Amino acid sequence: MSFIEAQGVEFAYSPEEDKVINGIDLKIEKGSYVSIIGHNGCGKSTLAKLLCGILLPSKGAIFVDGMNTADEDKAFDIRKKCGMVFQNPDNQLVASVVEEDIAFAPENLGLPREEIRKRVDAALATVDMTEHAKHATYKLSGGQKQRIAIAGILAMQPECIVFDEATAMLDPTGRKEIVSAMKRLNKEMGMTVITITHYMNEAVEADRIIVMDHGKIISDGTPQEIFSEVEKLQSVSLAVPQVTELMYLLEKDGFDLPRGILHAMDAADVIEKFMRRQSEND
Amino acid sequence: MLKDVTFGQYYPGNSLLHRTDPRIKLIILVEYLVLVLVAESELAALTSLAFTGFLIAVSGVRFSVLIKSAKPLIFVLAFTAIVNLFFTVGEGEPLVSFYFIKIYQSGIRNAVMMLLRLLSLVLGTSVLISFTTSPLELTDAIESVLSPLKKIKVPVHEFAMMMSIALRFIPTLIEETNKIISAQKARCADFESGNLLKRLKALIPILIPLFVSAVRRAEELADAMECRCYHGGEGRTKLKVMKSDAKDYVFLVTVTLITVAVFFLNRLTWSEVVGFCADIF
Repeated sequence: MSFIEAQGVEFAYSPEEDKVINGIDLKIEKGSYVSIIGHNGCGKSTLAKLLCGILLPSKGAIFVDGMNTADEDKAFDIRKKCGMVFQNPDNQLVASVVEEDIAFAPENLGLPREEIRKRVDAALATVDMTEHAKHATYKLSGGQKQRIAIAGILAMQPECIVFDEATAMLDPTGRKEIVSAMKRLNKEMGMTVITITHYMNEAVEADRIIVMDHGKIISDGTPQEIFSEVEKLQSVSLAVPQVTELMYLLEKDGFDLPRGILHAMDAADVIEKFMRRQSEND
Repeated sequence: MLKDVTFGQYYPGNSLLHRTDPRIKLIILVEYLVLVLVAESELAALTSLAFTGFLIAVSGVRFSVLIKSAKPLIFVLAFTAIVNLFFTVGEGEPLVSFYFIKIYQSGIRNAVMMLLRLLSLVLGTSVLISFTTSPLELTDAIESVLSPLKKIKVPVHEFAMMMSIALRFIPTLIEETNKIISAQKARCADFESGNLLKRLKALIPILIPLFVSAVRRAEELADAMECRCYHGGEGRTKLKVMKSDAKDYVFLVTVTLITVAVFFLNRLTWSEVVGFCADIF
């Protein structure tokens, strides 16, 4: 069984309302870096909450490390394994002082004091906020607050972190900080990272992208595969990264260029090669 | 508009009062309140005044700060003094008699006593608690001091948690209020003109969005707390453990003795004190 597994999951906030999640089967392996994209209201945030066990599916089941999220006895263990960072940094900080906020989760786990201290220091170091340990949380910038929120989850030592549009309310600098933190958690610490976003440049960083529309998964693959299908993404009102769109338009105009280019430097290389080839042919 | 909020104003420092265990301070606070309210005779009042002076001195809080904190209370202080001065009916001839205004000697005494008592209460409690205890220390101390009540199912932990979260969200909500005010001003809302009723009505477009957003924040915060394994106070440990040492106990015993002394001093007259001293020597 995979680390996270969803089997025929459906979900509606109340029986009278339309289903927000409409039959999802999904497997996420341990240590993977997955990005879930989709336009507003496609159910991606709801899916994130289902994966962490904050919401329970109306139909079907979700397993985290083999434990059913509907199993109340396991709720605690599931939350310990799978942390979640939310959109608004202000609404997830519990304490007024940075280190006390980070200590919140280990305090809840009932760990001894020395262990809490160790975890708080380690989490602060991971998000590079050690010098802010004693600061008041409300005086930090958005990006810093969000890093504290990540540290607060890290102190729980989870195996997986779900970022629910964690960069949506940040400025470009803050966004960069968080994306680089996500990458570090995944590549260096081997953590499973699931990020929900509508910034395509962020989704590109993942190893796997899942595209959602109307509560269903419509595409699932590597960034190259997903962004090769520009028309399909546009049909569900999603944009592709600018570089990818440029290459797509060039190709449409009859230039023989490969699809699924995601980074500006790659595009430059490809165009350079193409130009060389052209001049050799002439 | 909301820049001058002084609620829970904490002045970081390293004075004796800053270093005292907040739980001990809470107990001392109760004793202090009793002491100030009970002091009736001149001797007792002088003792309580001297003790208040001592608290202010060891708190290390600057005098100008203290004056500023007492400023909003000037009206209340003046009002009580005046009421006591004019409406106390004492024995014997009034000192001043002018139409219906009669001032007795006991009236002056009451006014001065009341003024000093209120001033002591305000300054003493602020240097003892608000100026020298961080809000978090305070909530932790309240939880710890009230913890015996858990046995009779009083939700002490929940109460302390709510208090600390409320304190945590004060700056956030102030910021939000300012944003809403700006947003409503940009839509030509007028908060400054008109009579009192009109101005109160003008607050509605500020309060409603503020409430709505506070409720939304609360929902999100609850999710975030649950995600971090919050499940009430049971089995919870703390990063910071409160410790009381010898100086805290000495402080506590001293204050207890002073409080007891005030009870006795209330019954003594000057001549008795002089006689008592003469007996000793």
